[in-house]
Amino acid sequence: MSAISVGPAPAMPRDLEGEEPTALRHGLLRALWRSRNGRVGLVLVGVIVVAAIAAGCGATPYDPQFQNASALLAPPSWSHPFGTDQFGRDILSLVLDGIGVSLEIACLAVAIAGVIGTVAGVVAGFLGRWTSAVIMRITDMLFAIPAILLALIVVAALGAGWLNSAIAIGVGYIPIFVRVVRGPVLTLRESGYVMAGRVLGFSRPRLLFRHILPNVAGILAVQVSLALAWSVLAEASLSFLGLGPPPPTASLGEMINQSASSGLAAIDWWTLAFPSVAIVIAVIGFNLLGDGLRDAIDPRTRKR
Amino acid sequence: MTDDGPAGAHAPAGPRVNSAHGARKLLLEVGRRLATMLLTLFGVSIIIFLVLRLLPGNALTSSLGVSAGLLNHSQIVALDRYYGIGEPVVQQYTSWLHAILTGNLGVSLSSRTSVASLVGAALPVTFELALVAMLLGLLIGVLFGVFGALRPGRAVDLSGQGVSVIGLGIPSFIIGTGIVTLLSAVFHYFPSSETFASLASNPWLNFQQIIFPAFTLSLGIGAAIMRTARASVLEVTGQNYVRTARGKGLSRRNVTWKHVFLNAFIPVLTMSGIQLGYLLGGTVIVEQIFVLPGLGRLLVESINDRDFPVVQSVTILFAAGFVVVNMIVDVLYAVIDPRIRNR
Repeated sequence: MSAISVGPAPAMPRDLEGEEPTALRHGLLRALWRSRNGRVGLVLVGVIVVAAIAAGCGATPYDPQFQNASALLAPPSWSHPFGTDQFGRDILSLVLDGIGVSLEIACLAVAIAGVIGTVAGVVAGFLGRWTSAVIMRITDMLFAIPAILLALIVVAALGAGWLNSAIAIGVGYIPIFVRVVRGPVLTLRESGYVMAGRVLGFSRPRLLFRHILPNVAGILAVQVSLALAWSVLAEASLSFLGLGPPPPTASLGEMINQSASSGLAAIDWWTLAFPSVAIVIAVIGFNLLGDGLRDAIDPRTRKR
Repeated sequence: MTDDGPAGAHAPAGPRVNSAHGARKLLLEVGRRLATMLLTLFGVSIIIFLVLRLLPGNALTSSLGVSAGLLNHSQIVALDRYYGIGEPVVQQYTSWLHAILTGNLGVSLSSRTSVASLVGAALPVTFELALVAMLLGLLIGVLFGVFGALRPGRAVDLSGQGVSVIGLGIPSFIIGTGIVTLLSAVFHYFPSSETFASLASNPWLNFQQIIFPAFTLSLGIGAAIMRTARASVLEVTGQNYVRTARGKGLSRRNVTWKHVFLNAFIPVLTMSGIQLGYLLGGTVIVEQIFVLPGLGRLLVESINDRDFPVVQSVTILFAAGFVVVNMIVDVLYAVIDPRIRNR
């Protein structure tokens, strides 16, 4: 349980000169590709990101909201690969658009949770006892409320909407970032090279930003990927419950809810299947990518 | 990992509190946990209060904004008094806390019945659902995990891994929607279409209505528990004291159950505690899919109706349930593991 297991320690001497740890600079992609999890995760996330970018550029086959009255509930065909819904909208276009929206919300949510959680975690790990105790108690309390429940009450207070979804989902994930970051920072604070930096009279911010944070970056990357998986899932759950961004914003969870609650799914299976598959690909993809990153960064798990 | 593993791992030291001394330590531990729990719950109540009351768009005004037409003047005044609107925040909080502690949960804005009666009707449903799901999850997880790990790479192990990929990768609301769709499309069967039957009134219908949502929830829990159980059994099997036990001629069954299983159980317990949090969150969604009149459905409905007295009470109840269960898990550690008990 030395500092070695926590971050890329071989970078220690160079680290004093302010270089980035080596494993994060070049080896990462290659190491990621070497693990099976990382490879599959990278491909799945790639598919999702391409879909989101396509939707963002407006490169969907049809206008997602265009209602073709002559093709209501059309089964999958060459002109509509994923079929159409009860309003005659092209499901492929809707799914692409939905992935785009869901990824936007997830990224914003993870940015909120990541920034607040990391700052709180670093402060709790690096600064004195009192600050640390206060932050950790608050974290414990946030942790005592199941994350999805926290998201629900934040939406209840703020009202449904694009930004509110992101805030609600982000708040639920803050305590996890705090815990994940604080542990390694506590260990790193006592490590040889941070001590050396202290002896050399480096300022606190310099120690933090150049010597401690780069070594937490790996763990943070893993957590960001896992948080994205959770956020996509949470966003889908919220909109499934009718608490996501209101229409006409496309939403995968809302599509599934529509299909299931109207009883369409039992006959016109494509209205349920394709949005579900999109969510599953995104959730599994980010989870595997996180696992792969962990394998790539921590040599102990890689060997298994 | 730690060196004191084998010392506490002796089967004879077993999971029993075998002396008055041990019992007193256990009681002390329970007392300490109880105090921490109360403190946490206190904090949780503050957080929920702050989130629902102080975020932009004050909870009550926004709720009244929607339902103001439904309430007459005296009702609004009564609500204002109940919430202490216009008083300092700290006083608002303390009067709310006082009301809750004395069992006065307020009046629902949409149905105008007391929140306590709404919650009282919904609580048993969610409790039953969570309990059945947890038991199913433990059953799936422990069975596949332990037997898979005892014969790695064989049929049981591989099918277990398959279940775990499904359980961890596919969100429960998709599994649930899939099950409902399948039942109605293939079997033309949908137990939830009838009004919910309580366990006492119609056990057979109740079983049909609970088993599918519980199964939906249990897949995710089971998958996580299975992973932990498998890894844990594999690790314990490789320990020196297990080899010693085999070496000194103990029967295989004896070693498996007394040395491997008991020691491998602690991480499984931890994981089960963590999963309970997800379980409580999951009931919200699964109750919605399977139309079960539990707390989760009540919560979502009251959020949609902006019925804040209900939202507040249900949230507090969920959080309290989560905290209490976690405390029970913590105490169970001490019961099972003599190392923790004698610390």
